[in-house]
Amino acid sequence: MKDLFCITIGRQLGSGGRKIGEMVAQKLGISFYDKELLSIASKESGLEKDFFERADEKQAWSLFGITEYYSMNPLSGESLFVIQSDVIKRLAEEKSCLFVGRCADYVLKDKTRRLDVFITADEVDRISRVSEKMDISREKAKSVIEKTDRQRKSYYNYFTNKHWGRSDSYHICVNSSLMGAEATANLICDIARMRFGLD
Amino acid sequence: MERKGMPTSLGTERVWKLLMQYAVPSVIAMTASSLYNITDSIFIGQGVGALAISGLAISFPLMNLSAAIGTLVGAGAANLISLRLGQKDYNSANKILGNVVTLTTILGLAYTVVVLSFLKPILSFFGASNETLPYALEYMTIITIGNVVTHMYFGLNALVRSSGHPAKSMYATIFTVIINVILTPFFIYVLGMGIRGAAIATVLSQIILLVWQFRFFTDKNNFIRITKENLRVDKKIVKDTMAIGLAPFLMNAVSSVIVILINHTLVRYGGDLAVGAYGIMNRVAMLFGMVVMGLTMGMQPIAGYNYGAGLYKRVNIVLKQTILLGTAVMTAGFLLGEFFPATASSLFSNDKELLDITVPGMRIGFAAFPIIGMQMVSSNFFQSIGKPGKAIYMSLSRQVIFLIPAILILPQYFGIYGVWISFPVADTLAAVNSAILLTLHFKKG
Repeated sequence: MKDLFCITIGRQLGSGGRKIGEMVAQKLGISFYDKELLSIASKESGLEKDFFERADEKQAWSLFGITEYYSMNPLSGESLFVIQSDVIKRLAEEKSCLFVGRCADYVLKDKTRRLDVFITADEVDRISRVSEKMDISREKAKSVIEKTDRQRKSYYNYFTNKHWGRSDSYHICVNSSLMGAEATANLICDIARMRFGLD
Repeated sequence: MERKGMPTSLGTERVWKLLMQYAVPSVIAMTASSLYNITDSIFIGQGVGALAISGLAISFPLMNLSAAIGTLVGAGAANLISLRLGQKDYNSANKILGNVVTLTTILGLAYTVVVLSFLKPILSFFGASNETLPYALEYMTIITIGNVVTHMYFGLNALVRSSGHPAKSMYATIFTVIINVILTPFFIYVLGMGIRGAAIATVLSQIILLVWQFRFFTDKNNFIRITKENLRVDKKIVKDTMAIGLAPFLMNAVSSVIVILINHTLVRYGGDLAVGAYGIMNRVAMLFGMVVMGLTMGMQPIAGYNYGAGLYKRVNIVLKQTILLGTAVMTAGFLLGEFFPATASSLFSNDKELLDITVPGMRIGFAAFPIIGMQMVSSNFFQSIGKPGKAIYMSLSRQVIFLIPAILILPQYFGIYGVWISFPVADTLAAVNSAILLTLHFKKG
């Protein structure tokens, strides 16, 4: 199975990254993983899903540094991250997949057949998308976006040695407002085909 | 330790067996690290004198404060490095290692310069009298000069551990104790260096281990190494490390401040020797406290996993067993304090005046030990089931909410005995408090 490959997608909230990811996975005929990772991690570790959801893409500070590094707390953000990373690694070992978020680009950094994408969008579009999807006012949407992106950033920066959303952390960064979701998905598919030599 | 996924045996294997498997190594590690403090106090008390023990006890908070500053870098870095190594990210693990060396040097030297310039006023503020100041000054001058070494040794030892060699780091700790046990009496008795000899032996033993650590971390076969280019300060690493280290730093700093308050009160109501008496009690209590700490560390993964897996019955079992063990250990401390206080304290000094203060002090001070094991275990329990707020509240409640008012009020009525009574009073209140929190937790289900 040498010709397996994986695509990782980082995204700002409201950039349509998840939807674009789904389209790409469907067009290329590979598996798509977003929140599903949490359920798998929960099933494999035996820990309830709730804990993964609470820690999902948020960074929690450990409070007693000393005891934390002497022994190990299975419910700490670090442990949950490790369990989740193991799931990501195993899935990427089994088949070609596309992962959204969860530092998959970093977790899979040893996989050479990999394409790391970061998707942004104009602020207006992001606010519209979030306020529509969550059925909240534009102001509220704006603050949700700011808060979520701040959390994603500190999560990513803590668990990887890279900077969230900075172009040198990824292979390609694309603004989905430029051409819309469908065209952006096509663009990523084209790059993936070229990169992985698919037909 | 390299971070790996949780073994699911945590949810199936017999709880007692798991507890032994996880707790024994951490109990050994914790005991080893407290041994140094105890042997040092013994040699100073026996070899230099009763007032020297007081001078040493005056210096405890300052040393703890220095250690707290050390954890600001060390604790965070150890955590980060094990995360990076878990992802086989050797490059950034190396950068973290290099940054630890640079940061520790800068922070350690800054500390030395500031503290050394104001050492006398600081020690006076910490409660040193004309009698005890010379001892504290002699001891702390050398300890403060060697501060960089101490920070570097502890920082790197944490990294040895978190880079997957917990046994090596434990041997290093034991080795410093052994070197100390050889050098300290040599300097004190043979060379007649007094309390200064103990300080020099401490720094010297750390230098020896530091040389070993540097060899370990420059070894070509080691997958993380100190190299020149990694020494450059990386803003992101500094920020991440300090952010993790901040909480443990504050916890340590708070307990230092409390010891300062205690020492002050002791000097006021009982004179210099009372401080020394507390120093002795503190060392004995610490030995038992560290064993319980090791036990709770062993409990942590078991309680955490089973709570996370919804196996609440097993959570209850491991909590009960750990409380039982913790209570047994603290009860042993209690028995020692109640029935053999003279034997225990004469290990540290034969000075009759000092022993006359220490013996009743230990009897009263250790009085609530049998119930405090439960409090120590349950504070850690809340942390391991992902409720750090409650954990912090519980561990602060014993020291801050209950002990500080007791120390401020009781001595006004009972003099020196008021200080000793404050300990069982605070312990009892804290134990009741934790019993209530535990009951509420289990009622809620």
